Amino acid sequence: MPILRFLVRRLFQGAIIVFLVSALIFTLLRIVPGDPVRLMAGGMAPEALIEQIATEMGLRDPIYEQFGRYVGGVLQGDLGQSFVRPANGAAVGGASFDDSTRSERAKVLDLIAQTAPKTIQLALLAMVFALIIAVPIGVWGGLNPGRLPDRLALYLSSLLVSLPNFWLGIVLALLLSVKLNLLPAIGYKGFAYTILPAFVLALEIAPFIIRNLSVSVAGVMGQNFIDIARVRGLTRNQIVFRHAMKNSAVPLLNLLGVQFSMLLGGVLVIEFIFDYPGLGLLTINAVMQRDFPLIQGIAVVTAAAFVLINIVVDLLATTIDPRLDY
Amino acid sequence: MSLDMVRNEVLLSVRDLSVAAEEGGGALRPILDRISFDLAPRQILSVIGESGSGKTVLARTIANWLSAPLRVTGGEVLFRGRDLLADPIHARSLAGREIAYVGGNPAGALDPTMTVGAQLVEKLRAVRPEITPAEAKDKAIRLLSAVRIPAAARRFHEYPFQYSGGMMQRAMIVDALISDPALLIADNITQPLDVTVAAQILKLMRELNAEFSTAILFICSSLPVACDASDEVMVLHQGRVVERQAPAALVTRPEHGYTRALIAELPTLWQGGPEGRDERQRRDQRAIMSVNGVSKAYETRGKSGKALVQAVRDVTFDVFPGDNFGIVGESGCGKSSLMRLLTGLERPDGGTILFEGENVGAASPARLRELRRKFQLVLQDPYGSLPPQSAIGAILEEPLKIHRIGTPAERRERARAVMSEVGLPADIYESLPTGLSAGQRQRLNVARAMILEPRLLIMDETLSALDQTEQGKLLDLFERLQAQHGFTYIFISHDMTMVRQVCSRIAVMYLGETVEVAPNERLFFEPGHPYTRALLSAAPTLEPRRYRPEDCLLDGEPPSPIDLPPGCAFASRCPSVTARCRAENPALRTRGGQALAACFLVPDPSVTFDEPMEKSDV
Repeated sequence: MPILRFLVRRLFQGAIIVFLVSALIFTLLRIVPGDPVRLMAGGMAPEALIEQIATEMGLRDPIYEQFGRYVGGVLQGDLGQSFVRPANGAAVGGASFDDSTRSERAKVLDLIAQTAPKTIQLALLAMVFALIIAVPIGVWGGLNPGRLPDRLALYLSSLLVSLPNFWLGIVLALLLSVKLNLLPAIGYKGFAYTILPAFVLALEIAPFIIRNLSVSVAGVMGQNFIDIARVRGLTRNQIVFRHAMKNSAVPLLNLLGVQFSMLLGGVLVIEFIFDYPGLGLLTINAVMQRDFPLIQGIAVVTAAAFVLINIVVDLLATTIDPRLDY
Repeated sequence: MSLDMVRNEVLLSVRDLSVAAEEGGGALRPILDRISFDLAPRQILSVIGESGSGKTVLARTIANWLSAPLRVTGGEVLFRGRDLLADPIHARSLAGREIAYVGGNPAGALDPTMTVGAQLVEKLRAVRPEITPAEAKDKAIRLLSAVRIPAAARRFHEYPFQYSGGMMQRAMIVDALISDPALLIADNITQPLDVTVAAQILKLMRELNAEFSTAILFICSSLPVACDASDEVMVLHQGRVVERQAPAALVTRPEHGYTRALIAELPTLWQGGPEGRDERQRRDQRAIMSVNGVSKAYETRGKSGKALVQAVRDVTFDVFPGDNFGIVGESGCGKSSLMRLLTGLERPDGGTILFEGENVGAASPARLRELRRKFQLVLQDPYGSLPPQSAIGAILEEPLKIHRIGTPAERRERARAVMSEVGLPADIYESLPTGLSAGQRQRLNVARAMILEPRLLIMDETLSALDQTEQGKLLDLFERLQAQHGFTYIFISHDMTMVRQVCSRIAVMYLGETVEVAPNERLFFEPGHPYTRALLSAAPTLEPRRYRPEDCLLDGEPPSPIDLPPGCAFASRCPSVTARCRAENPALRTRGGQALAACFLVPDPSVTFDEPMEKSDV
């Protein structure tokens, strides 16, 4: 089965990528200044206690030993425990050194499992919005290269691409939730809370899709088989919707794969602005708290997601265009 | 062809059709000038003319496929009495249904992401919605078998990229005929195909014409092909019809000066008979290049896993100093792979390539660079083979720089000398190659190759991008340079008429093997391999043929170089095939007179290819 061989090969390559990413993140985290134990134990903790805790946690061992332990855990599905977050809820950066809850710190895997679905939901909705906005404009532009629709598409995408997303997020939140009271904006209490951040993200992605589509549709429309299809007696609709769109789908698919991976990897700014409890917000907090295991865990999971999405994209591309090889 | 039939019944009638190209400032450049002709049902009419004569514009005007800047400036195109030009909606409704078009580029004619079958069904149902998908599928498969696509029911589900060029052209003919059109416009349909495949397609087209009673407008740039294909030939020259006659009459009694010139210009294969030039061969010196048992396979990775493409298999020949050695064969036969091996661009998997006694295949990279001074390569594509950003002088001096020859002033002088030798004007030394014609570009390529004063020049399809006249001029140039510098040439070509004109000794390749090596006249008048006969039978010429395609070539596709049969590779298309051919691959055997052929039909299977020099004829 060539498809099995393809999957095995790609998963193996993916595992190497994830390993390299985690090794890099692991090393960097331990090289950069800032002692997580000091943050955990609080500024008032005596130096001896810090050293004691650090030694207990193995943070004074050589980096490769720490990494070996970590990888061993990851292979068994254990991403470790958060340095700072207790299992029962709210984050407690800089708690006192004799905090009794420290013994039941949250598992990284649980933290990610709680937030990842929210981010996936946000990413998917953003993708849907982006496609709804971009596909008609992009195809329209591609069918009329150099003419008004093409130029409109270009101007629109230039405009969208130059809007800063934090500004757009704030303006839209102000307009749609505060003034018009149409949509909730801050926090998460239900699906409606996803719509506004997703829309902002969609406006950010749309220009890329528009440009990609109009260029590839224009390219396909210039090809011989489209030219000749009319002489063969096919109708304009058949030519555009069955042939031109299908042939433009492969480059679009590749773009969507990359964009979706980036959305999953955490939309830091947007989640932060809307206080949306996804991976992005988790990442920001983890970084601010020097929560090494959590940062590592997020990196490993997003790297794995990246690898998987790319495999799916390549599989889909070969079903659309059979000339492509696995 | 009776005249009354034409009078009584006219399918297509073109009256005073003029088409012009709009140029800047509203100026009109005429392309077609008051063209008038009639086409009867079931008739095949060839339209012939050189490039730029307006053939394709004529085809496209009738197919309702003109696009800016072209525009009809007058006249009518009456199809069954209704003017298509005055009624574009009616014309549009006929496209693909009553008027079908097949173009010269089958490779890009179908959507690469859909199966051929699905697209045939889609087309038929687009022009005849009353047909059900199942009926359409049946009809498509029936027609695919009618055009001799093997295993049509399976091929129906394959994608365009899985079809060879010849099969794709057949599929496009099916695509055109599937709606039972009254008129088929065939625009240069044989041009991209190999001669043997083109011969099969032409034969097929005539059969289909009889079977489906479709009238055919056959657009073509080769007079022999046009004459072969049709009931009548119409000659187009500078946008006007200059002559229309039946093929036999046209060839024997051309009325217009242009037609006469066209016929006179055609090179011939057999006319005049053997001149005895093979006798002049000198074989008592050391070979300049000796190729022995060379093979090369490339690995490809497809959906079905890894596969070996056996591009070159056991090629053996010697090239002697002063020879014009020809290597002929159709596309995919391994000519270009062999060229890469001969020039040391790649190393063979097996066998030896000796250049003046030194093994090119095993030489170190540094030694190879040294050796390349003595053998140089001239490529096919006059556009892609020259760096567009370098001045002509710089292009010529580069080889000298690479080999660290001379001072800048000396190099400059040498470049100018070579330019004048190949007939390039001296004042273009500083300009870019952008403005050069294809012929001039090939001269520049030759100049670049000979500036190092090599002993051997390898010409890989050097002339195939040029028209007849320009080819003739360059061949004269090659001859002159050979006389002056004592070059030895290896011509790699698919063009039998060119090879006949210039080569002294010729190797014929089929699917990576040399199936025959023989002196020129021996090869053309007494070929030893059935494939050579098939090639000769399909070569476009107006002469009475020594070999007829019907006798020399069976229907069928060449086998894939990935999945070669155990026996002779030509067995699937060979009319004289025996059981032994399918089981065992014949090696080259001597036929005497320095001729070798790899066929069991060659009588004396005494020894292998190492023929003694003084062996007499059988």
